[in-house]
Amino acid sequence: MELDWTTFILEIVNFLVLVWILKHFLYRPVLGVIARRRAQIEESLSEARDSREQALALKDQFEGRLAGWETEKEAAHAALMEEIAAERQRLTVAVAKAMDEEREKRKAVEVRQQQEWLRAAAEQGVAQGQAFAARLLERLAGPELETSLFGLLLQELTQLPEQQRKELAAAAVPDEKIRILSAFPLAKPQRDELTAALKDLLGRELPAEFGEKTDLVAGFLITVGPWVMHANLRDELRFFEK
Amino acid sequence: MEKATILFHLGPLGISSIVVTTWGIMFFLGLFCWLATRRLSTDPGPLQAMLEGSISAIDAAIRALLPHSTEKVLPFIATLWIYIVTANLTGLVPGLDSPTACLSVTAGLALLVFLSVHWFGIRSEGLIAYLRHYLSPSPILLPFHIISELTRTVALAVRLFGNMMSLEMAALLILLVAGLLVPVPLLMLHIIEALVQAYIFGMLALIYVAGAMQSRSKVNQEKERTDT
Repeated sequence: MELDWTTFILEIVNFLVLVWILKHFLYRPVLGVIARRRAQIEESLSEARDSREQALALKDQFEGRLAGWETEKEAAHAALMEEIAAERQRLTVAVAKAMDEEREKRKAVEVRQQQEWLRAAAEQGVAQGQAFAARLLERLAGPELETSLFGLLLQELTQLPEQQRKELAAAAVPDEKIRILSAFPLAKPQRDELTAALKDLLGRELPAEFGEKTDLVAGFLITVGPWVMHANLRDELRFFEK
Repeated sequence: MEKATILFHLGPLGISSIVVTTWGIMFFLGLFCWLATRRLSTDPGPLQAMLEGSISAIDAAIRALLPHSTEKVLPFIATLWIYIVTANLTGLVPGLDSPTACLSVTAGLALLVFLSVHWFGIRSEGLIAYLRHYLSPSPILLPFHIISELTRTVALAVRLFGNMMSLEMAALLILLVAGLLVPVPLLMLHIIEALVQAYIFGMLALIYVAGAMQSRSKVNQEKERTDT
């Protein structure tokens, strides 16, 4: 157990050299690679944190967007409901209006149909009345009625207005016969009386031709030129029908 | 243990076998580290994982005591551990002696620890502040501080030297007395003892350095305690 100063000093030097060697060839490279790995891990963690924050931000953003969509959906739904209500109101009004129009139209049609029916009924009534009257008058027609109508004819001829008398006189063509048709044969006195009445009416004497026409039912048909006097039941009934 | 054999002379310096063994260890460690750290990558292989695990373990041990000065102290303390382990285990190689079984080597290492304690303490605290802690808690304790510094340094040197020398001596004696295979358990004990002694030496050195670097805060804490 002896201290060798040369070994002692050289060992100190050797150890310091070894410290330098290991520092440059062991500690520095190994600690460097450990630091690099830690930096990479930190970088990865930082990236992971950034990714997480971005993901959370995106999540918040999408949640906000979803909430916005929900609000927009509710607003759109409300607007749609309002539009549907307005459309329903409009259609209701239109339907009510159409129904009113249809009701008015049907009412007008009914009124018209009623008027038509009334008119048809009236026409039918008139026709039936005319037929009834014609049948009644046909049954009543006879010499007595003819005589009465003859008296009534004479009375009408004498009571014609002055204006008509002048027109009648102007219409009478000279030398043209007055055509007198009757339902029943006229007796001589009646013919003379009628000729005299016509002479008085026309202001001159014209030849008269008498005839019989049974479809006149009763009464007379007198033709003076273009002028025709219907004094019989047939024409009266036709007039009544019109 | 006999005096180390002088193999050759470099001028006035007689180069002993211990020094040559130390050079061999230095060459081996340097070459191994150079080869092992040429292609380091962030995706480590088995060898790189072993190196990173060892350095990380040393770094964690130092950081537990000196969390703010780990980078300053690590090369010295880690080299102590690595060199002493390697030197202790060198004795297992036939024909070679452990350099740490030589008092000159352990004394040199202890002297380096002694000097490094003051070096790191002064660098960390400043000269005045560092020297002031020898006067705390009372200047009367200054001689005891100095004696403590010297004795613990001597204890460092002698503890490592004594353990390694005695271990090799015991193995040699058993080999001489018993036979070829009988010292095998003792050689296994040699391995454990080599690791334990390296750990103790390095850990004590670390504690001394940490104590020196944290002496100012201790002084301040004690001053605050006395004021209160």
